[in-house]
Amino acid sequence: MKFTAIIGTTSPKSYNRTLLQFMQAHFSDKAQIELLEINEVPMFNQDTPSNSPQLLEINDKIIASDGVIIATPEYNHSIPSSLKSLLEWLSFERHPLDGKPVMILGASIDAQGSSRAQLHLRQILDAPGVNAHVMPGYEFLLGNAHKAFDDKDQLNSEGTIDFLEICFLRFMRFAKISNQLNEEEDFSFKPGTYEVSSLGHGGALPLKVSFSKKKIESINIDTSGETEGLADVVFVRIPDKIIEGQTLNVDVLSGASETSNAVIDGVAKAVKLAGVNPDILKRRPKPASSLNRGDEEYTCDVVVIGGGGAGLSAAATVLQEGKSAIILEKYPAVGGNTIRTGGPINAADPEWQRSFQENPGERHTIEALLNTDENDIHQEYLADFKALKNEFATYQKHFGNDKGYLFDSPLLHRMQTYFGGKRTDLKGNNIYGQYDLVKILTDRALESVKWLEEIGVEYNKDIVFAPVGALWRRGHKPVKKYGTAFILALSKYIADMSGTIITDSPAKEFLIEDGEIKGVIATGVNGQTITIHAKAVVLASGGFGANTKMLKQYNTYWSNIADDVKTTNSYAMTGDGILLGQSVGAGLTGMGFTQMMPVADPNTGELFSGLQVPPENFVIVNKQGKRFINEFAGRDVLTKAVLAEGGLFYLIADDEIKKTAANTSQEKIDRQVEEGTLFRADTLEQLAVKVGMDPEVLVDTINKYNSYVEAGEDPEFHKDTFSLKVEKAPFYATPRQPAVHHTMGGLKIDTATRVLDENNQPIKNLYAAGEVAGGIHAGNRLGGNALADIFTFGRIAGKTAIEEMN
Amino acid sequence: MNYLAIVGTNSEVSTNRMLLQFMQEHFKAAAQLELYEIKDLPAFYEAEDDQVPQEVEALSAKILQADGVIIATPEYDHAIPAVLKSALEWISYTSQALTDKPVLIVGASHGALGSSRAQAHLRQILDSPELAARIMPSSEFLLGKSQAAFNASGTLIYEDKLAELDEIFREFVLFTEIITKLLSEKAVIKKDKKFAWQTQKA
Repeated sequence: MKFTAIIGTTSPKSYNRTLLQFMQAHFSDKAQIELLEINEVPMFNQDTPSNSPQLLEINDKIIASDGVIIATPEYNHSIPSSLKSLLEWLSFERHPLDGKPVMILGASIDAQGSSRAQLHLRQILDAPGVNAHVMPGYEFLLGNAHKAFDDKDQLNSEGTIDFLEICFLRFMRFAKISNQLNEEEDFSFKPGTYEVSSLGHGGALPLKVSFSKKKIESINIDTSGETEGLADVVFVRIPDKIIEGQTLNVDVLSGASETSNAVIDGVAKAVKLAGVNPDILKRRPKPASSLNRGDEEYTCDVVVIGGGGAGLSAAATVLQEGKSAIILEKYPAVGGNTIRTGGPINAADPEWQRSFQENPGERHTIEALLNTDENDIHQEYLADFKALKNEFATYQKHFGNDKGYLFDSPLLHRMQTYFGGKRTDLKGNNIYGQYDLVKILTDRALESVKWLEEIGVEYNKDIVFAPVGALWRRGHKPVKKYGTAFILALSKYIADMSGTIITDSPAKEFLIEDGEIKGVIATGVNGQTITIHAKAVVLASGGFGANTKMLKQYNTYWSNIADDVKTTNSYAMTGDGILLGQSVGAGLTGMGFTQMMPVADPNTGELFSGLQVPPENFVIVNKQGKRFINEFAGRDVLTKAVLAEGGLFYLIADDEIKKTAANTSQEKIDRQVEEGTLFRADTLEQLAVKVGMDPEVLVDTINKYNSYVEAGEDPEFHKDTFSLKVEKAPFYATPRQPAVHHTMGGLKIDTATRVLDENNQPIKNLYAAGEVAGGIHAGNRLGGNALADIFTFGRIAGKTAIEEMN
Repeated sequence: MNYLAIVGTNSEVSTNRMLLQFMQEHFKAAAQLELYEIKDLPAFYEAEDDQVPQEVEALSAKILQADGVIIATPEYDHAIPAVLKSALEWISYTSQALTDKPVLIVGASHGALGSSRAQAHLRQILDSPELAARIMPSSEFLLGKSQAAFNASGTLIYEDKLAELDEIFREFVLFTEIITKLLSEKAVIKKDKKFAWQTQKA
């Protein structure tokens, strides 16, 4: 028989190790015992994947063995944290001990011989996630261990050796019988199609599963109730794996475990209906493709890190030029932040915009902008500012006092991007968008819109509008749901052009040969090493909105970034590309400036939970129930005010105001009230109590507010547009807290997207596009400009990479 | 009272952290709770005397300064998380700062059991001679179904659990006072005991 023996400590000197070494030699004629060290297994953390090399080695060796021996010391009446950490890893994403025969023993210097640690270990091994078969009885405790071995590390007491032999022989027998339990029972399905319903993220998830006598033949899921995004990947990946391996032992997708489990549970229900115990299929090995941990090697012209809008457009451009491209995406699906977009793409398209009438007040907006003192404008932008004045003068002259069409030009877009991005941080540093980059963004955004159209994005040309914070109506709205429209079209195009997308595989480091970047090394979905040789690398991995540590490290703009600050971004946005760039000496720019979305969900960072109504309708109050700001304030003014109030605030609404919410339904509202993420009460007093405010304060605030609505004037905070009073029960309070929305800073790039070092010299073979790069949006990004940025600079990155390799 | 409240996990999202955050706010009139995160402590190893990691020394100092310690533990595989055990090993191996320190154990879990088995283990661990904390007896606070236990502003919404917690905390403040008095009148102070690892390696 073949056993593995785990040394339950990281201590370099341990009598438990000596004991196992003794057993290894002493029982060598009966069994092969391999000793395993645990000293390089990191501390367990459920937020990180199980891919330490030593851990994977232990996992594989346990699986290949007939049984496991664990020798534990006793630390503080229990097992050492290092051994506990290993067992936590072995009950998290991998479960090699499931059904494995285990023998426990231990040595200690005192008389106890690890007796209490052994009892804890038994209980731990019996936990459902571990599920080992621990041999009952035959408790082997080696007390006074420092006196138990001779100078050749042999046990010096015959009695002890005899008892150890009895225990070991018993374990050999136990292992043999216990392993028989792991042999699969005979079964056959009652052929047919079974309909079941499982509980998904968005409610009931109906499934139809078909069986032949021996096989699960097909799994069809009705996904209409689920949101798009990662869930879509689950609905393809999980059924594929189940059918491939004819097993229910499949890995859940990180970031979508609830939905993954819903699919697995649904199929298990169907298996039961087909007359088979689902546990049989749960005990089967994982599908072969999930076990494949062989290292992989690829060669291509350009490797792109990050499968969001910037990365996909870079790769598509490379493919268009007849070169090969590989996209490395760390998540199970491409899309990045782009797929979460809730707005259109900005591009000045005067010819098209001319088909729309101007809105009242729009000319005033431009006049106000053009009235800026030229001394306040940076030199580089001055010529454009003057040119814009001329353009607008011509327009004014043409229309006089008549209603005109919607004015726009790349110059207006440029100046608005410049003014919009000008900010001063807490230290008094001024920042504004780098002219050459902003010029490209605004001159070539339209080209990007048209390029996307050729790739397959369809636009709704009957509508032009400004997304929140855009300042102007120049948004091109796709027909399909915003972010999805871009990502679907680009991924389809890349597939058609035979580009390769490798998901679930974070890039770890550059492949450097002779001091030059020659590709990327990544970690694959099963922990394997993926080496990609390439002539150029494009970093398109997004910003660092989901990396609180990094946000705090660089922040110079906000008075405070809370430890538990949320983000509207994908959780993938952890600044990986910035760190990779730094590893080869890339310079950074504007890192202290981040954009917050003030009205985000305090628990999730989501923008569209609770009651989202137009600002003329809601009342913003702080935790005490007092108003503190004009509800029409811009994103960063509101965020600053809210941070000064402590972060959390509430949007107050009544039954009539509720009807103006575009984001929700009665069913959703009821569910959120039940979950405690939205508050509802029949009186304002009760509402105040529910959210921890003084009822008198809230009632007073609302009475005053209602009187302002009546008077059409707000002497306190000067809100100037009102619609509804807060008067009809039930009343609502939506808790909100600012969440990180966009990180403007990033890698320094030039106009051709070459990554620059601290001395502004390009780093050979390295390009960057999208939120990973800095310099464009400076202190504040206009709504709709991120899409213009990623598709414009993404394309340029692909193009430059090809040009420079030729 | 000044209490050090230890979050017993290194996970970014934790209802045990939320529980302590709630207690911090809810009991602020009665006591000051400082939340302590163990996620940045190195994993325990047998450091040489003069090479104890700074983070460990900082933790010991905080424990020594506090009137008592509150530990919120999740349950991993029927026991406390390795990362919490590691923190306790550091204390036990270096400063033994928990000796005679009043300790309140609480815990939250997503399931119904509220970390009951982890808490039982934690009691045994804290009762070991090298830690020798003064754990408040008969004070089990198990918060099951913890994912739905807090509203958006972090308030515990289970009324029965809130009442239970109020009473346990009130008792703990009293317990802290009594233990402090007890210790002041104690005849033998067990400080110089040498433990196994201080003489031999296990």
